[in-house]
Amino acid sequence: MSALYLRRRVTNAAAMTLSMLATLVGLAFLAWILWETLRQGIGALDLKLFTKVTAYGEDGGLLNSMVGSLVINFIGIGIATPIGVLAGTWLAEYANRTKLGESIRFLNDILLSAPSIVMGLFVYTIIVLPSTALTHGSTTFSGFAGGVALALIALPVIVRTTDEMLRLVPSTLREAALSLGVPQWKLTLQILIRAARSGIITGVLLALARISGETAPLLFTAFGNNYMAWNPMDKMSSLPQIIYQYANDPGEAMHALAWAGAFVVTMFVLLLSLVSRLILSRTKVSHD
Amino acid sequence: MTDSALATNPAPVAAAAAPKLVVRDLHFYYNGFHALKGISMDIPEKQVTAIIGPSGCGKSTLLRVFNRIYAIYPKLEAKGSIELDGANILDPGYSLNRLRSKVGMVFQKPVPFPMTIFENVAYGIRHHEKLSKTDMEGRVEQALRSAALWDEVKDKLKQNALGLSGGQQQRLCIARAIALRPEVLLLDEPTSALDPIATSRIEQLVEELKSQFTIVMVTHNMQQAARVSDLTAFMYLGELIEFDQTEKIFTKPGKKQTEDYITGRFG
Amino acid sequence: MPATETAIPATDILEQRSRRDARHERLFRWLLLGCALIVLASLLGAAGATLWGGRDAFGTFGWRFLVSSEWDPGNEVYGALVPVYGTVITSFIALLIAVPISFGIAVYLSEVAPTWLRTPVASAIELLAGIPSIIYGMWGLFIFAPFFADHIKPWLTSNLGNKPDDGKLSWVAEHVPFVGKLFGSDYPFGASILVAGIVLAIMIIPFISSVMREVFQTVPTRLKESAYALGSSTWEVSWDIVLPYTRSAVIGGIFLGLGRALGETMAVTFVLGNAMHLSASLLDPGASIASTIANQFSEAVGLQKSALMALAFLLFVVTFIVLLIARLMLRRLASKEGR
Repeated sequence: MSALYLRRRVTNAAAMTLSMLATLVGLAFLAWILWETLRQGIGALDLKLFTKVTAYGEDGGLLNSMVGSLVINFIGIGIATPIGVLAGTWLAEYANRTKLGESIRFLNDILLSAPSIVMGLFVYTIIVLPSTALTHGSTTFSGFAGGVALALIALPVIVRTTDEMLRLVPSTLREAALSLGVPQWKLTLQILIRAARSGIITGVLLALARISGETAPLLFTAFGNNYMAWNPMDKMSSLPQIIYQYANDPGEAMHALAWAGAFVVTMFVLLLSLVSRLILSRTKVSHD
Repeated sequence: MTDSALATNPAPVAAAAAPKLVVRDLHFYYNGFHALKGISMDIPEKQVTAIIGPSGCGKSTLLRVFNRIYAIYPKLEAKGSIELDGANILDPGYSLNRLRSKVGMVFQKPVPFPMTIFENVAYGIRHHEKLSKTDMEGRVEQALRSAALWDEVKDKLKQNALGLSGGQQQRLCIARAIALRPEVLLLDEPTSALDPIATSRIEQLVEELKSQFTIVMVTHNMQQAARVSDLTAFMYLGELIEFDQTEKIFTKPGKKQTEDYITGRFG
Repeated sequence: MPATETAIPATDILEQRSRRDARHERLFRWLLLGCALIVLASLLGAAGATLWGGRDAFGTFGWRFLVSSEWDPGNEVYGALVPVYGTVITSFIALLIAVPISFGIAVYLSEVAPTWLRTPVASAIELLAGIPSIIYGMWGLFIFAPFFADHIKPWLTSNLGNKPDDGKLSWVAEHVPFVGKLFGSDYPFGASILVAGIVLAIMIIPFISSVMREVFQTVPTRLKESAYALGSSTWEVSWDIVLPYTRSAVIGGIFLGLGRALGETMAVTFVLGNAMHLSASLLDPGASIASTIANQFSEAVGLQKSALMALAFLLFVVTFIVLLIARLMLRRLASKEGR
């Protein structure tokens, strides 16, 4: 065997080993992060998390933050879903291959990875500041403003999945409906969106998973609140915000509470991505 | 009641040989490509006209001009005239609603809508007519009977149409098209995605339907054209080479190209 | 029979219906277009709002805002250099670590791993992308930074840095330029620019590797097979065939990761140490644009608030450009495929 062959074989073996090592490194960090979240989080789990508000500090729970997270996420998804589905529909059904459509699709992809903290400042400028001016000075952070900030982050996710899922619907379905004389808007709302339904739901779930862990845009919009707030026009606490606050606190007991919150958020997000994966894999089967 | 209802279809009673669709000097372009080159033909009423030819000859394109379904895609253009009962359907003033209630279409692959079997048939009707619940049920039953599907689905009308077999789905699509009581029925290779048994059921059905509808059918299967159609048109490279009685096309073709194709020398 | 009734005025009804349909169709189109324009509006709005909010800072300091490293709320002097440097250097470190690892993962998952292993491992790596960034931040703050301070940092400072504990400079610190400065530090904690870069790297690995894996799968099988048929090894096929074929999309994936890293707030804020001064050492604490905003905005008033808005504007413009390049590069492969 020549030296050249030997060198090539050694190079190949080294590269293959390195690629396997790289994968192991990636998996190791995943395992490490999940393991610590589980270990620390389960260690800090306690009934008071779900019964007491954060006003009690070390002796308190996270009830108001959980409620706040639910309300803010609900507002965010509630705003982003209709707008996102309709905008995605426009891209796929009305503006496919037009200049404006291509540009908006392109910009939507950019919005998908835009820094969320800037989105928070944007909503601060358009909602918090004007409402401060209207109420003569008392700063009005609100759960609603937080919801709008999260909606802006969820929007591009929903637009993109709706667009992609509708473009997967075979064009024969469009032709079949149009050949019956059904107008395009009816075809779109009653047949195409229905045909792409599970894909669109997946997109909404993914968007929900994405915003459930978002912290930065909430800091200057929903702000935080140590007491229970149901009214979205009040300042509102949320799990990511309280994790951020408690993790930066010097007290050990606060860290435990932060880990408990981190555990709850992580489980929620992983559950959502699991469910959406299941829905998506089921659709793919039925499409073939 | 089924037959009488269909017999009152508002179509002028005329001799069997009267043309239903009169095509004159039809040209079709997509993205600058000249796909149909001056087609002229008279399609007779209540007969089956088959269009055959090698793939890419423009036979599906021609069919898709008859209900202007091509218009949903940009950069496609048709020139010339197609008269349906004396009115030019290519005239922009000819409403698509009117055209599509008169000309129904069935596609290569069965495409049931993602809804129940009943809704699949009722969906199109609902857009054109306001019917009471019982009238609607009657119409749906009648369409399903005409498509020879009623006995198979009458107990599962509320089930999702995607659960039907391929052949049943295609007959459902035929039921959906004839439920609007069109005058012309366009079939675009309706059996190409089906097995032989389902295919023969559809062919039988076409035989039965021609008493009520003018049927234009594109097929890549010459035996099918010979079995089912009254007239056959042979197209090649966007031109209509020959159009005559099916029997004549398959036994004594007038053109060399037709003969070559029929005998399998090309295509 | 209803059929006979509809037959007579059919054309009138059809005309009416056509007009009604056209009206609904127009309304529907406007509604959809309006929703699509919200996407556009939120991008423009974010840029406009931060530019407007930062107008005082830009107006007061002009171009000095970009080059000054002073950030002194007491004297109302603000310069962006420290957070800009922190943002750029942490993202650069993140890419330096994440790109080779992501490439390894993508090669392993598309060329090397047994088929049954590919999907589960790929899903696990993608799971990493779904974990909220605040969890990375907490893990970095409580687990990784102390671990780094105890086990990695001492080795780095004594073997590479110019401020070793025992005062004896290592060979590298003496003879190789810059390295001594980069790794010299007497700051006792883990939170530092290097740790922030590592945490960011872990965050963006799943993004970059999944883009790479996806584009590697678009390489036509016949291309790879013909190379294998000539006797090429797996590595040679990956490096000589797959990578050149997908080059633009691979660069796009890397830029996508860079865009994420630049704008990331939470993971960085926890582990960067938040020190508003410039230091050459990677083991010293620093600040990034996003961490500065997250830390200071709630309490800021007047010019400081405006300076933070101005920082946000800079961040937005830079990430926009990076993501623009990313998408353009990714698109080049997509159009190649389309043909």
